[in-house]
Amino acid sequence: MHIPDGFVTPTTAAVMFGISIVFLAWSWKKVLAEYPKSFAPLLAISSAFVFAAQMINFPIILGTSGHLVGGTFLAVLLGPWAGMLSMTIVLLMQAVFFADGGLIAFGANVFNMAIIGALSFFLVKLMNRNSTSQRRFVSSVFLASWLSVVVGSLAAALQIGISPVFAEAGGIMVAVPVMLFWHVLIGLGEGAITTSLLVSLQRLQPALMGNLALLKGKGKQ
Amino acid sequence: MKKLLAVIVLLVVFLAILIPFTSSNPDGLEKVAESLGVEEDEPFWKGLMSDYSVEAFKDPYVSTLLAGVVGVLLVLVASLALGFVIAKRAGSAKSDAKPLKSR
Repeated sequence: MHIPDGFVTPTTAAVMFGISIVFLAWSWKKVLAEYPKSFAPLLAISSAFVFAAQMINFPIILGTSGHLVGGTFLAVLLGPWAGMLSMTIVLLMQAVFFADGGLIAFGANVFNMAIIGALSFFLVKLMNRNSTSQRRFVSSVFLASWLSVVVGSLAAALQIGISPVFAEAGGIMVAVPVMLFWHVLIGLGEGAITTSLLVSLQRLQPALMGNLALLKGKGKQ
Repeated sequence: MKKLLAVIVLLVVFLAILIPFTSSNPDGLEKVAESLGVEEDEPFWKGLMSDYSVEAFKDPYVSTLLAGVVGVLLVLVASLALGFVIAKRAGSAKSDAKPLKSR
């Protein structure tokens, strides 16, 4: 879902940079206020894992592939604020060193993957309010991660669709449905991987999942 | 430190095992651009390891694996640095700092 340079107009790119900076500043403040000092290793390990996982493309149908984005995974593991920063680092390294996602389009990519992914945390939280059911947790994670990819692709489709590069092909009216078509499918992979990752972590490393205890209503608000 | 080293080793093994199975088909957005006949311009910034490959290595497996390992290290170092900055800043801004549990 990484938008390369040239697919968005400078105006779109600038607006998306602006929006993303506001969200990142908000996250930064929250992280400074709420995270423990010993947080660096978990942050580093999670980001590195998501980088590695994003390199592994799984095939879907008709000669198309997808890969884990990991926004919901990070948000549930680290909380939305640190999750957003973690994903932004992954995207930054990808753009700077691997030209995966443009530099001009960086703000748009941060919005589509890091911010939308982090915000999916609140859907998981909402769905697990007053519930300790594991089945509820699993389905909420699946839905949130699927949605994070679908909504992210919708945002990307709007951003590239209004660019003159896509005008001849039909602009937004074409870009939105085709992007959604593929990402509704890719999102199923995201959902399956995110769900199995978080459920295994919950089993193997319950100590890491402090956020989960809160999510599931065992902690106090 | 030991934990981080273990994680690096695990991630290298993860990449080493899964890279051969990675699909080289275009991803969602690339497919959309392709099917709509939109060509990606030659980017003005190609990065150092464009398309996750290290040019000095001809073998695609070695090249991708090496790029992956370098990327993992870069992300690890960058987020560790961010984590330490957070720890330092959060420590000095003690007034409104709360423990994680109260979130």
